[in-house]
Amino acid sequence: MAIEPRRLLALLLHLLVLRPLLHLVFGLNVRGRENLPSRGPCILAANHNSHLDILVLYASLPVRLIVAAHVVAAHDYFARHRLLYAAVDFLFKPVWVDREAGGGGTLARMSAYLDAGESIIIFPEGTRGEAGQLGDFCGGVGKLAADHPDVPLLPVFLRGTERAMPRKASLPLPIWQHVSIGPPQRLVGESGDITAILRMSILDLERSEIASRHKRRPQRHQAFVVAVLGIDGSGKSTLSRRLSRDLSAAEHTCLIGDSLELFAGGGPRAAQPLLKEKLRRWVSAQAKDAKSLARYKIPKLTELLLRDALLGEARRWYGPDLIFMDGSPILNMTAWSILYRSELMSAGFCARAIAILCGQGSARDPLFKEFPELKVMKRLDLTRLAIPDAVLFLDIPPTVSMARIRKRGEKMQVHETEEKLGRLREAYLLVVEAAREHMGLPAFILDGDRDPDSIAAKARRLVASARTAARGNKA
Amino acid sequence: MQIDLSQLSWELLAPLLLLLVLGLALAAAGLSRGRFTLPGYLGYFWIFLLICVVTDFFSFTPAVWLMAIVSVRAVREYFSLVDLRIEDRWGILGAYLAIPFMIYLIQIDWYGFFIISIPVYAFVVVPFLVALGDSEGRGSLMSIGAIDFGLFFFVYCLGHIAYLAYYSTWLVLLLLLAVVACNVSSAITARRGRLPGFVLSCLITLALALGLRSWTSMATGPAVFLGFLIPVLVQMGNHTVGVLERDLGIGAADIEPGRGRVLDCLKSYLFTAPIVFHYLRWTMKFGELIQRHGN
Repeated sequence: MAIEPRRLLALLLHLLVLRPLLHLVFGLNVRGRENLPSRGPCILAANHNSHLDILVLYASLPVRLIVAAHVVAAHDYFARHRLLYAAVDFLFKPVWVDREAGGGGTLARMSAYLDAGESIIIFPEGTRGEAGQLGDFCGGVGKLAADHPDVPLLPVFLRGTERAMPRKASLPLPIWQHVSIGPPQRLVGESGDITAILRMSILDLERSEIASRHKRRPQRHQAFVVAVLGIDGSGKSTLSRRLSRDLSAAEHTCLIGDSLELFAGGGPRAAQPLLKEKLRRWVSAQAKDAKSLARYKIPKLTELLLRDALLGEARRWYGPDLIFMDGSPILNMTAWSILYRSELMSAGFCARAIAILCGQGSARDPLFKEFPELKVMKRLDLTRLAIPDAVLFLDIPPTVSMARIRKRGEKMQVHETEEKLGRLREAYLLVVEAAREHMGLPAFILDGDRDPDSIAAKARRLVASARTAARGNKA
Repeated sequence: MQIDLSQLSWELLAPLLLLLVLGLALAAAGLSRGRFTLPGYLGYFWIFLLICVVTDFFSFTPAVWLMAIVSVRAVREYFSLVDLRIEDRWGILGAYLAIPFMIYLIQIDWYGFFIISIPVYAFVVVPFLVALGDSEGRGSLMSIGAIDFGLFFFVYCLGHIAYLAYYSTWLVLLLLLAVVACNVSSAITARRGRLPGFVLSCLITLALALGLRSWTSMATGPAVFLGFLIPVLVQMGNHTVGVLERDLGIGAADIEPGRGRVLDCLKSYLFTAPIVFHYLRWTMKFGELIQRHGN
């Protein structure tokens, strides 16, 4: 490529004077240089904070682009200083825009350069904005890109210039300059949309740049989730309600049981109703009225999935410190699957099932063949259930639990027979073993046949110790 | 200083040879395009070696200004990493100007003024400059703290290396070699926990301090103590800057130019340089030491 002598001199100035000077004084780090096209024209759009921006940008460009790129610059600003105007005109071959005169004809000149195979560098904010803040974009870049859909548009984010030499500052300070060049985009559509998308991609670059510089952030508030397990009639609802109420003296607690309740200061606390909660209650009623196990299965599964979703909602909207769950969806589901396929009973099986249900298991696990429901759940992306932080299992002989259920006088559910509850109890014991041995969760077995006060006191101690241990692990 | 061929000895040539070997290794690493890399702690080792060689073969003045360049690069990266505000520009400028101020005091060997240059004068001026540039005051306390911290560690503490070179280049070389030995031994024994690495670095440092006594002209007692002091200080510096690096979001894997490279190279020297300097100054009575280098 033949270069006219004037251009060659400018190129030498860039390579031998300006670039080394920038490296020496500020230090320059470029990310995404590989995104620059190796041939053909392109449009580079960058954020604008400082007069240094253009120097930093040129120092990170390859020779090919330095020779054949034109900066869009404000004529009305630079024309005020004759020497500066001459220098900018010589070094950057700008496309002059007169902002006061309305910028007529500029677009045509830029288009002409692009058609001739030369590139355009533009600062879409139009002016050096508030330091470190991406201002609104002028529409010109969108129009230009819309007119040239085949020319790649590259978002560029410059960081450091706003601190090294912000607007109103006359003296530059040595601060590192970081240039991130985003992937080339070929945008089609309305020019307004293109401008908006470009702004979003520059903001994305800013975000990733900020993420690589660390910002102090407060630790996210995380509720400690305790799952209380037990067969029907073991008193798990009573225990979980009692724990939520007792422990709410010092902090906010939440109970997710047959209903969702919040406690604070030792008493109930009002809460905004959640739609998912209403839905879950209705589904739960359907499950309780079911006449056969087959009819029971789907509403129960839905109820468990909704209960898991509710945990996320409660965390998000109520921000409690401690959540008690009357049954844990993931552990209940595992225990119930054993009930349906009792020949599979083992702690290792439970651990595998739990891993699949929380989205960590292998996709080729033979369990998927055993349980077609699991395959459906996986396809619907429902296998991301939450694992509780601690598990309490209220152990009680099925005869006692049947006696308690009869005493309640409610309608009996289909699975509430001594034989089925016995199998369910064994399944729960396996699940607790899997949680403790295979997943390292604090899982405890409480004797449910003792008086409620001593059970509650012991449960409080266990929860407190599990929380202390969890805090220690985090630190 | 004129080089007199009859005076050439291993004492003078050893730093030069070391520098040449390291220079070749660095050049090879640069030319290999990333296939072969040198560990980070060697990054600024060669500049400190260069300071020693320049002091030995030319004069102390250019050597001490090499130290100024190291300091500028270190604080420049530090200021780019911490969250300073636009309003802190005057404070940052003051911090940069403190570097030539301190370096000049080392050059003219005004020890009493050097030792208070940054802890008294710069620490008085920088908060005032930050306050001048800031009318609202939101976050100015954090900024003053951040600027002063960088100035203290990367200018003042490192500056002691240059002052040590003024008294004896072999004391600097002992310090440098001991720091590298500590880093190498903790890298070798990284899998076995910290203690074996620490014991190994104590042994190597002890051997260095005792073996180089004829060139450092140190007494046996202080040399033995130094053998334990340097590994402890290197561990302290590495641990402290390691924690700061985590706070600044510098992972070991993604150190880039301008993002922690200089800080990572210098972390072992930050604690070692000032304390070893003061220990030696106290035990060896530098005031009475025959000074081999003119200004």
